[in-house]
Parts: sequence; structure tokens; C-alpha cells
Amino acid sequence: MNLYAYAIIDSTGGVEESIRGLLGAPVYTIPYRDIGIVVSDLKAQAQIKNEESVLKHEEVVEALMDRFTVLPMKSYTIFDKKEELLLKVKEHYEDFTENLDRVHNKHEFGIKIIWAGNVIRERIALAHKNENAPAGPGQPGAKFMKEKFEKYKIDKEFEEEADRCIAIVDGFLNRYVSEKKLEKLKTDNLLLSAVYLVDKEKRDDFKKAFKELKGSGGDLKYMISGPWPAYNFITLSRSGDGKSAATKGAQL
Amino acid sequence: MTKKIETDSLEIFAGEMEKVKDALPKKIVANPENVEKGLAKLVLTLIDLIRKLMEKQAMRRVDAGSLTEEEVERVGETLMKLENKMKELKEIFGLKDEELNINLGPLGDLM
Repeated sequence: MNLYAYAIIDSTGGVEESIRGLLGAPVYTIPYRDIGIVVSDLKAQAQIKNEESVLKHEEVVEALMDRFTVLPMKSYTIFDKKEELLLKVKEHYEDFTENLDRVHNKHEFGIKIIWAGNVIRERIALAHKNENAPAGPGQPGAKFMKEKFEKYKIDKEFEEEADRCIAIVDGFLNRYVSEKKLEKLKTDNLLLSAVYLVDKEKRDDFKKAFKELKGSGGDLKYMISGPWPAYNFITLSRSGDGKSAATKGAQL
Repeated sequence: MTKKIETDSLEIFAGEMEKVKDALPKKIVANPENVEKGLAKLVLTLIDLIRKLMEKQAMRRVDAGSLTEEEVERVGETLMKLENKMKELKEIFGLKDEELNINLGPLGDLM
């Protein structure tokens, strides 16, 4: 019988017996020092690489979130036997406890914002076109540089405008968060793709601030998701083979 | 616990996320049939990265006004030739602009 691992938690027990894992198997905790690894038994030949398993994995993690601080494991983290699992946990114990401390009582929220990037870029380009004289005959290198420089200025102005918008958005939310990761302009229209780590006590304030932001007018489109486990704020400093690695989520 | 996604524009977000997914770099595939293309993709990605860095640096210097007219002409000609050569090489190996990228795992995309 194999062990399927769902998450590391800040407790050596106390997982509700009612939580069912993959293929309906009961979920339980294997303690290691002051932390626990939440697992369920899995037959060696079980076929679990499907969407249903991924959703079940997430469901278990979310159920654990209600009562514990959780470091979710990557889907399909399977161990042949308990000793192998404990050996891996022993290797990463300090990482796990550091991360558990960092994300203790905190949840992750995702914020995405779309703006009319294409329209804004066109507007900037038009303004530059009106202010620039058409390129006359000149040396080919200088002409090439002029064209490139015009594009560079448009890109720069576009990014500056994005920075200004993001600063306003972040200003609304920043006071309620412990950590954040902001990604600007993943596409021209996706102005901001952000994840915020929010203390449980400040969760309502954070959501209220988001509502205020959303209601403040403008042409932006908003999406909020969460609360989630702190997927994007878990960092393992060492991989299993001792090499340095930064890994999103707990991956043994 | 309530846990959900809230938006008034789910379709628009789904469309935009689809674009992000499509922009993710593909793997460097190396097998006996296309090893040449796989290697070309890797090498051209690195050359293109260096070319873009050079171009950006040149633009910064133009922006700062630190290049003379002669220097602008010389740098421009170099960058233009480099860009044309890259176009030729991409055509030879049947590669598109969006294919010239590498996923660096947790560090994100190269470009």
C-alpha cells in the first residue's frame, strides 16, 4: 500500500475522520516532531492521474485550511512507504517549520485586473505620431534607430501608465497584507496579476478594500479569488538532493 | 469557509488567461527527427536575448542623449544587420518569434 500526501500541517493530529481523500480513502496524519503530514492510503496499482484526483486533492487541502496552517503538497505526491515519507520530511523539516511560521494564520488571495491596454497603447502611439515629424531620407542606421526609439518611447510610456494604475490599486490593498507578489502586464490587457498573503483577522478588511477599489469607477475589470492556502508564498530553500532550489509549494 | 472567484467579466478574464497560457514557452524538443531545429531554437533564443538587451541598452543611451550622431548611425546599422540576420535564421529553421523563449521554472520565462 502506498501513501498519497496532501499537505504538511502545523499539528501532529486532529484531522477530522470525516475528510475523505482519493478514491474515498480516509485521510489521517503521520506525525513528525511538531508537524504532521496528511495522507491517505493508496493501492499501488490505483490509476489516479485524472482531473477528479486533482480536485479531490484540492478539496482535502481546503478542508484542512479551516483548522490548520497548511503547506499543500504537489498533486500526485506518492510514497512507497511511511519510512520513505518520514525521511523526506526529516530532510526538509526546517524549511517546513519556517514556512509554517511565515504563513501561520494567513491565506492567499488572487487579484487580477484587466485594462483596455490595446486602446491605451494606440492612444500613446497616436500622440507620438502627432508630435513626431515623419522620418526623412537619412542614413539607414540612424533611420532604424529612430523607428526603434519611437517604439521604445511608446513601450516606456505604456509601462509607466501601468505602474501608475498598479500603484493606485496596490495602495488600496497594501495595508492589509503581510506579503505580496505583483506581476505587471503579463499581456497588454492583463494589467495586474497579483497574489496577496492576508492575515485571517484582516481578511474582511482586505475584501472590503477590494470592493471599494472596484467601486471607485474607471474602466478596469476586476477578479478576486480566495481565500486559498499560501501556494505562492511557500519557498523551499533546499531540494531533496541538497541542491539549492526555490520551489513554489511543497514539493518533496 | 466561503471560497470563490468573483468577477463580473469571467469570459474576458478566461480569454486573457488563455493568451498567457499560449505565451508560455514550449519545451526544447530534441529527437532524431528534429534535433537540428531543437538546438537552433535554443541557440537563437540566447542570441535573440542578447540582441534585445543590446537594443534596449542602445535605446536607453539615445534617451539619455549620450550617443553622438556617428555612434547612433554605427549602432543602428549593427542592430539592423543583427535583426535581419535573425529573421533569416528564423526562416531557415522555421521558427516564429514567440517560439524563441525558454521557461526557467521557478524563475519564470527568459524573455
